[in-house]
Amino acid sequence: VSRVLARAGALAALAAVVWGGRAQAEETPPIAITHALVYVPGGGPPIADATVVLAGGKVQAVGTSVATPPGAQIVDGRGKTVTAGFIDADTEVGVVEVDGEPGASDAATRGPLSPALRMVDGYDPRSAVIPVTRAGGVTSVVVAPRAGALAGQSAFVDLAGDTQAEAVVRPSLAQYARADEDEARQVGTRGALWMTLRQAFDDARFYAAHRAQYDSNASRPLGLRRIDLEALLPVLRGEQPLVMTVHRASDIETALRFADELKLRLVLAGASEAWLMRDEIAKAKVPVILDPLEDLPTQFDRLRSRSDSAALLAGAGVSVVLSTFSSHNARLLWQRAGNAVRLGMDHDAAIRAVTEAPADAFGLKGYGRLAAGAVANVVVWSGDPLQIGTRAEHVFVRGREQSLETRQTLLLNRYRTLPFTHDGSR
Amino acid sequence: MRYRERYFAFALAAPIAVAALAACDPERSQTARARSAQAPAVVPDPFAATESRARMPIESSEERPAAPVLVQHATVMTATGQRFEPGFVLMREGEIAAVGAGDGPGTPAGAVVVDARGKFVTPGIVDPHSHMGVAPVPESEGHDDVNELTDPITAGLRAEHSFWPEDAALERAVAGGVTTIGVLPGSGNLVGGRGVVIHMSPRAGARAMRFPGSPEILKMACGENPKRVYGELKRAPSTRMGNVRALREAFTRARKYAHDWEDWARRQQGRGLKGAGGKDAADKDEAKPPDRDLALETLALVMRGDILVEWHCYQADDMLAALEVAGEFGFKVRAFHHALEAYKIRDVLVAHGVGIATWDDWWGFKMEAYDGIPENLALMTEAGGRGAVHSDSPIAGQILNQAAGKALAAGRAAGVKIDENDALRWLTANPAWELGIDDQVGTLQAGKRADVVVWSEDPLSTYARAELVYVDGRLVFDRSHVGAPWSDFELGVRSMPVPRGGP
Repeated sequence: VSRVLARAGALAALAAVVWGGRAQAEETPPIAITHALVYVPGGGPPIADATVVLAGGKVQAVGTSVATPPGAQIVDGRGKTVTAGFIDADTEVGVVEVDGEPGASDAATRGPLSPALRMVDGYDPRSAVIPVTRAGGVTSVVVAPRAGALAGQSAFVDLAGDTQAEAVVRPSLAQYARADEDEARQVGTRGALWMTLRQAFDDARFYAAHRAQYDSNASRPLGLRRIDLEALLPVLRGEQPLVMTVHRASDIETALRFADELKLRLVLAGASEAWLMRDEIAKAKVPVILDPLEDLPTQFDRLRSRSDSAALLAGAGVSVVLSTFSSHNARLLWQRAGNAVRLGMDHDAAIRAVTEAPADAFGLKGYGRLAAGAVANVVVWSGDPLQIGTRAEHVFVRGREQSLETRQTLLLNRYRTLPFTHDGSR
Repeated sequence: MRYRERYFAFALAAPIAVAALAACDPERSQTARARSAQAPAVVPDPFAATESRARMPIESSEERPAAPVLVQHATVMTATGQRFEPGFVLMREGEIAAVGAGDGPGTPAGAVVVDARGKFVTPGIVDPHSHMGVAPVPESEGHDDVNELTDPITAGLRAEHSFWPEDAALERAVAGGVTTIGVLPGSGNLVGGRGVVIHMSPRAGARAMRFPGSPEILKMACGENPKRVYGELKRAPSTRMGNVRALREAFTRARKYAHDWEDWARRQQGRGLKGAGGKDAADKDEAKPPDRDLALETLALVMRGDILVEWHCYQADDMLAALEVAGEFGFKVRAFHHALEAYKIRDVLVAHGVGIATWDDWWGFKMEAYDGIPENLALMTEAGGRGAVHSDSPIAGQILNQAAGKALAAGRAAGVKIDENDALRWLTANPAWELGIDDQVGTLQAGKRADVVVWSEDPLSTYARAELVYVDGRLVFDRSHVGAPWSDFELGVRSMPVPRGGP
């Protein structure tokens, strides 16, 4: 059971929720996926004719000489490919039901500085987007805040369970900052934006060192509310990554310097021009989350966007994480990875970029790898997971097979034949 | 010379069907008059002279027939149901000279021979819904020219007058196998204005890039966008019923406008019979033509059937309401664009001969997109309707082939009996029909324009890359030799070529 509330702030600590509790604890019969092509950690090629055993919500065993436990439910994996469930590292799944409707969209935050904001509080595990995403072979997502120089905290969720308590794995995964063209315009200029960020972290550092004075009203004035100052402490301690959306190469340079000065655990997101800084990024061991289809100079801070930047970054030794940055299209993570391959990335590396790499970027132990002891988030694909026409045939979250019925399959069934009638009669 | 004819005097060279549809082009006024002689004259041609000047290309067009190109040893998919493995395509003087199985009829003198072993050859992709050039990248206030949000009916506009040929997205689309795009105004207005069909070669302006002989097309929009835009301005329309009323009122005015011109033309005819004498004051009034109104003129031409209607509509009920308006004013809808709920009323759309241009699986970004399903295109095709994949986005416009592959896969998984040829037609023949250029492009057939793509592998694969792209038989993209950018804007900025791809 994941409990990372301890130092996430006074208010959060009050809520003694056992996140990811019930679904994981529940007993399920063991499952054996046999004779499949299995992607295992380590970067090597997949293992042919392997067996994967799931039990108690965990991966029990993976290999070619693994025995099928008695009483196990067998999934014939002949001709199939098995991977760890895909992880989309930057989404709005569960917080955006209909993007254009303010009442059905909780992704964007208000104001430039809201580090205390937690996406977990707005997460709806019953969103119609979740089964659709899961049917695309995505078993976990990072639900990230949008907009704002310091936008708030993401949640890490498994795409199963009817309650927040069941679905949420990490209620406060990472802090988010934006230093792109749009945010600079909000604040005024790039310089003003970085000054705002420095000021916020400086305030938080001062607060950490002068808590007693702060509580007795003897502190110097601070720009942030107490709840926001508290939220930045795990970031300052290096316990929580700071995911920074930034595109222009020179902005990335500033971001690397900023993180180095403050000793922050930086993750870059968006990062259209990161390929120009790939050696520096590799040296700083900073992971990069990007969408390989974003190859256009859509804005002035990404005039040097390239469609092969994932391949270039990976080639320089940067840990590349592929994401859709989407809500409703998170189900197409496989296609993003496939396009990274089309544009020069190694196929196995592209698989890792949606499994191991996101888990590593956020320190999610037990995720993204098919190995004994890992969380049993597993997908059985009808073929190459990154190829058009392949389907996720079995999706397991914490060892339990998930229904692949979605609101879309219900619509399809209703209109499969015309004229349509509500009860299916003609 | 052939090209100059096509370009400057295409009424002579272009087939009748296209000529009739493009009757508002002055070069076609002969044909238009010929039609008008049979049908009652709705809009007489007096303004053809003004149109003539408005239609005159001022760019110099250096069209040189390329050397013959023979692509051999490839899997050739013609989009007419044929698949040659191996097959060949011979391009000569801008046209497809021959296509078939085997190595072809020998190598013509001076021909470039492309050994395409293991590769696939298809017609160039036609994207029927693009805003490239009018909503170019980089996004800037200086070039945000896609939506004229000052009136809900802006039928007098032409997208070509917003088109910025330096849009960096254009070359990327070609690198995705796209050879023709329908550039449309945005959907903020009920009638956004005329679109322009662009043939993908780098040139100085929209008129020089205009697909020769392409008919006029009109962008219309129903549903959320117009009512939101004008509702926020506290203006009509602010509801769907407001949308429909505004449209009906506009077409009612256009009908009167057409009748006024018709009356005037009849009076002129009468005067002609009476002879040149008897010029009194009353006669002078009679001789005065109605005031010209560009918007009403466009709508009148729609009702005459001379402009193809490309109608942005998502929901089934919105499409049904649109068909009612079209029925009331006696015009046809060529295609509903986006049309995410087409599957719910595919029988109606098929009965009305309306095509759809849509994505493979976009959904949920607004209420009217909430019921989108990936099987939409497949179900429409199964019902006997025309479907096309469109982009509406410069990102999606680079991977339209993948969209067709995904829509095919979704349909097959649902048990719909469709095949690769159907999927290919979503990319080529069907969008060409929706833009009224299917007699010129969309299939690999002798006599058609040589818009041809050589793919690294099956184009319905995620990994397929367009390696060679020909427009009118000229090589416009070669992945192995990507040179200076098309866009002047990207000079000195794009430090490396567009993706070569491949490890």
